[in-house]
Amino acid sequence: MATNTDQPGTMYDLSSVLDVEPLQAVRPGSSILITGPAMTGKQGLAYDILADGVSENQGAIIVSTGDRAETVIDEFAGRVGSDEFDLGVIDCAGDQQTTAPNTDINAFTHHVGSPGDLTGIGIGITEALEALHGRGADRGRLALSSLSTMLTYTDRKTVFKFCHVLSSRLEAAEYLGLFTIDASAHDEQTLQVIKQAFDGMIEIRETDGQREARVRGLTSEPSEWVEL
Amino acid sequence: MSGSEPPVVLIVEDEPDVAETYNLWLQDEYEVRMAESGSEALEMLDESVDVVLLDRMMPGLSGDEVLERIRGGESNCRVAMVTAVEPDFDILEMGFDSYLTKPIRSDELHETVSNLLERSTYDGLLQEYYSLVEKQATLEATKSHAELAESDEYQQLSARVDDLNDELSETLGGVEDDEDFIATLRELSNGDEH
Repeated sequence: MATNTDQPGTMYDLSSVLDVEPLQAVRPGSSILITGPAMTGKQGLAYDILADGVSENQGAIIVSTGDRAETVIDEFAGRVGSDEFDLGVIDCAGDQQTTAPNTDINAFTHHVGSPGDLTGIGIGITEALEALHGRGADRGRLALSSLSTMLTYTDRKTVFKFCHVLSSRLEAAEYLGLFTIDASAHDEQTLQVIKQAFDGMIEIRETDGQREARVRGLTSEPSEWVEL
Repeated sequence: MSGSEPPVVLIVEDEPDVAETYNLWLQDEYEVRMAESGSEALEMLDESVDVVLLDRMMPGLSGDEVLERIRGGESNCRVAMVTAVEPDFDILEMGFDSYLTKPIRSDELHETVSNLLERSTYDGLLQEYYSLVEKQATLEATKSHAELAESDEYQQLSARVDDLNDELSETLGGVEDDEDFIATLRELSNGDEH
């Protein structure tokens, strides 16, 4: 851990992933909603932010409602560019253990029967935090992809409360939380309600084949749109 | 919990001496009721009970069976299981909110009961917070920015949403430790089923 100079309370700098002013210093314990239409790279952006943290010896936790743990680990390793990282994966995509985990990568994995099993997800996150802490990662970033899938398993009231409780837990752990939602899959009111559970959001849009993002809520004014 | 009435604790314990000891410790702060068996506990359980202190090893209905029936019923009470051996982590998945290992000390008992009551307060605040956020979203979806700026109802609602958010941050019942965190999440799922 010689290269890890982070002290508790140190701000998270995400600007190397998305170069906008509000992301230069994000308060530990913040939870950010990543919103945009389908297929615009919301999960990819969340993974990139986690991979950036890993390069600074921070922990990474991925809660996946769609991809199996093996896929998540492979994809994440590709983004980090090495097999050396502290990763916890909570796989909610099905209750069956699939193939043996990739032995090259020392990731903690926890399987949950369904994206609607909030208690199971919570237990997985708790154990992942403990496992990463045991490996020396006192801070880190958590990505949950996606809330849209969770909303098909349980109602928005429960998802809202889950986000709120999980955000509080991440705040206590001084982690950064990133949660993706497919803005095209829900009505405006549902999005409006879910947004309230977060400190800020990253909006993604696509115009003429070009993806752009901006940040709202973390500072008094929204950032400019920047290319992704 | 309502008004200035003391919270109600139901002690379920088949050994009278042990039950009486818990009663002596708690009776100054809480309204204490005592049941000598699991079936008696189920008869005595009503809306007014806030916390159940449940002995796991009892003749007749066991603590586990009583817990299952409580969770299957209407009551939203919090249950602390009293066990003879230290349970492992997986026991959180069994559906109780906290556990105590015998022999219990007075300070442990007080801490557990007040922690469970704080958790209930947190759940209540979170429920209220959600209701207000939903109302706010409805107004935002149906009115223009100009109308919202003019609306006293909307301004008051927004102020209350902010206040409640602060109150929630101060009420650590939801996340104080891993046990609280998991129990709070389980409560969300339970609430969903009813």
